[in-house]
Amino acid sequence: MSKNIVFLLFLIIGFCNFAEAQITSNALKEETNIYEKVFDVPLQLVDQQSASFDELYAQRPVILALIFTRCTGICNPFLVKLKENLQFKTQENPFQVLVVSFDPRDSVSDMQQLAKNLGLEENKQWTFAITNSISELNQSVGFDPVWDSLRQQFDHDALLVGINKEGYITKKLIGLREKGDLELLIGSVNNIFSPTYRLPNQNSLFSCFNYDPVTGKNKPGLGLIFLALPAVLTTILLISISYSVRRRRQKREQLS
Amino acid sequence: MQQSSILLLFFFLMGIALIVFTYVYLSSKKTDQGMSNPLKKRFWFFLILAVMMGIFASVTIPKSPYFAFADKTPAKVIHVAAMQFSFFLSENAIDPEHPSGQGIELPVNEVVEFRVTSLDVNHGFAIYNESNRLITQTQAMPGYVNRLRYQFDEPGKYNILCLEYCGMAHQVMRSSFTVK
Amino acid sequence: MESIKIRKITSIWIITVLTLFVASIVLGILMRLNQGGVLQQSPITFYSNMTIHGITMIGIWFVAGMAGINYLMERYVKTSYTANLIALILTVIGVLMLWAVTLIGKFHTAWTFLYPLPLKVMWAQWATPTFLVAMSILSIGWLIWGISMMTQVLKKYSIAQAFAWQHFKKDPGVKTPPFILISMITLVGVITCLFVAVVLMALYFAEYFSGGSFVNDALLMKNLTYFFGHTIANEMLYLGLAVIYELFAEVSGRPKWKTSWYVALAWNFTLIFILTAFFHHLYMDFVQPEGFQIVGQLASYLASLPAAAVTVFSVWVAVYRVKVKWTLTNLLFFIGVAGWVIGGFGAVIDATISNNIVLHNTLWVPAHFHTYNVMGNVLFSLAFFYWFSIQFTEKIVSEKFSKLILSLLIIGGAGFLLAFYIGGADSIPRRFSNYPAEFTSAKFLANFGAIFATIYLIPILMLFYNISKRCLKILFSSSS
Repeated sequence: MSKNIVFLLFLIIGFCNFAEAQITSNALKEETNIYEKVFDVPLQLVDQQSASFDELYAQRPVILALIFTRCTGICNPFLVKLKENLQFKTQENPFQVLVVSFDPRDSVSDMQQLAKNLGLEENKQWTFAITNSISELNQSVGFDPVWDSLRQQFDHDALLVGINKEGYITKKLIGLREKGDLELLIGSVNNIFSPTYRLPNQNSLFSCFNYDPVTGKNKPGLGLIFLALPAVLTTILLISISYSVRRRRQKREQLS
Repeated sequence: MQQSSILLLFFFLMGIALIVFTYVYLSSKKTDQGMSNPLKKRFWFFLILAVMMGIFASVTIPKSPYFAFADKTPAKVIHVAAMQFSFFLSENAIDPEHPSGQGIELPVNEVVEFRVTSLDVNHGFAIYNESNRLITQTQAMPGYVNRLRYQFDEPGKYNILCLEYCGMAHQVMRSSFTVK
Repeated sequence: MESIKIRKITSIWIITVLTLFVASIVLGILMRLNQGGVLQQSPITFYSNMTIHGITMIGIWFVAGMAGINYLMERYVKTSYTANLIALILTVIGVLMLWAVTLIGKFHTAWTFLYPLPLKVMWAQWATPTFLVAMSILSIGWLIWGISMMTQVLKKYSIAQAFAWQHFKKDPGVKTPPFILISMITLVGVITCLFVAVVLMALYFAEYFSGGSFVNDALLMKNLTYFFGHTIANEMLYLGLAVIYELFAEVSGRPKWKTSWYVALAWNFTLIFILTAFFHHLYMDFVQPEGFQIVGQLASYLASLPAAAVTVFSVWVAVYRVKVKWTLTNLLFFIGVAGWVIGGFGAVIDATISNNIVLHNTLWVPAHFHTYNVMGNVLFSLAFFYWFSIQFTEKIVSEKFSKLILSLLIIGGAGFLLAFYIGGADSIPRRFSNYPAEFTSAKFLANFGAIFATIYLIPILMLFYNISKRCLKILFSSSS
């Protein structure tokens, strides 16, 4: 009886560890503009330099974040979380973060202030910029902010766009995302190819593998236990039968 | 054409097997000497087989399709959602609640990528060329997206057939696209 | 020495298997005729027939192999009549349920019942749970049987001896008969894949009764399904080989085959390869980690090495320039081995990932597995059935009769299979009730296959009649 309870507890703990959270259908919006070329806009960077977008991405692949400084909603938490999650980054897969404002009111000094607030002024990996061709940029990445005159705010997705060194959009992420998804994004801009990916699933608990983007490899999942279990069971059975058969024979020989 | 060489190889091997077995059988009618040096012959037989299989394995495993064109940027991404009993093909992601598709045209001589999933049961996504030859395929598994990259060398109309048994209309589940 | 009881129960197995075999062949011929446009079945009827045809064929040749080794095992250890009987009863119940589920309930998932198809009910509501229960009954019955036989072997041989490990030493001491070694290896594989079936059924039941709150992972279920399905089909072939190792020399009037170090080595390795080859069914599931895919190809390749270098070569050694007493029994064995080898070529070609991309789920697949059966394993079992039936009855078949049977089997089998191989090379899909018009060779090949399958059926009917008559005599004889 106690063995059953232990086994059940093990299962429950297993469930909790491996159950996947449900993600909303942002997944659909993320699958637009893939492998399309991003519009090469002229950028005005915070250090007063101007550069064209293609000069930037030719040096290093870009993770593009579109925000506006007067945002009272998601933009700040979004950038803070991005900064936190990217702090772990190693040198293997280079990338740079380009934060561009889609609000025509934002100036270069507004962006500089933003960088200061985030403590990213000196950070070589982050570039803050504005552009006068924002509508072309928005269109090429499938970004559609809507002005809400009541709240005097833009209504928009928290969007990250991965752009590789050739200027192609490799992946989009919408919303506040965890390290794993960011690793996928960084992998994608470095043209690391995975022949498959899993969809956000409902209540599916036992999978064979979970892809770990940090290592780029598959981590064994609970489902693997089900694959290995039969062979293990048979081996145990084999050994226990042989053992009990011998025990009985020894007992019989002792008695006779 | 890959299938023709496969069939030829098979017939060749089958022919050898038939010859060997017939020869061995006929030899049993003649004498009663048995095989001389069977252990040595067995060893050589094993060795030759092992070497041949080793060659086949090392030549063919790198040709596996999983990472074909992995370092290229595809010119187009087509999302494919299979469902009992039709295919939805679209340049945009397909909403599982309201799946819809469109006519697809792909560029010739460019790498394209199919992102294939299923909305219900397992299906197969198999591409046939105008000579009705199967040229490439992948499975459509619910909950997963398989990425199939291919470069079409010939323009024309290509058919898609479902190759994983999926129910009563499996045999009429099909679609097509053009390559220009 | 075996008892009368085991003779009788083996007779019942044989008659049951042969009856179901004939019925299944007929279903198969009807399928081909439908594909050829000669018949017009509704797709649901076709697919229900296809489902029960597949389940029955795998089931009967599996139990035929088990019945064969059970009977021969009595030469070495006492086997349990009870376990044999339980398996027989549960098999009959399970099979009857499955025939009802498919022919009446119109359950049509194909024999591989690939998740989540059984749960997408497009047939009678009762069919899905009944199917799951039937499969569970079969699994339990066969598990009892397999574990029982394994236990009986272990009563006489230690694990090391059963696996013939002592033969790696210069002086092995206790000699393990090849039959025991192969039976043991095969039973371990059989029990493993039946445990897989139990796990699979448990997951199915969990989802079925959860009302949607528990959903299985499609990839895991596919792995489990093919772990069970491939392995049981592979093992049934090896059950037939165990019989060959035991009977071929005896029937040919030659000294018994012995276990040597390379026989032991080959069969021990075979166990590992058999249990990992099933990955070759998932090549086109790009979701599968690449490591598993490569394991699948390597295991499939490697499995052919011990088979060829040990078993096939041993058969050649036993025949080449040896004055073999050829009878129907050993001729069936010999031709069966040739068929198995040829099927193996088709299999290894398809088990190559870079070929599989143009062969997967085309007619090449039924081509190779029908070769393994129609011209391989079926002949092994028929050989055993015939040999068994003549042990206790007089008058063996005439040489002319044997020649006729074998010629028709070969001609029928060859034509039937050729249609599949050519169809596969023509990219014609498998499991289609009707072929799209653009496959211009498809209908002709289907009808061609049907004709030759009918030619194959004729000697089967002759053997069915001949063997069953003898078995009925054995069954109803009052004494030894």
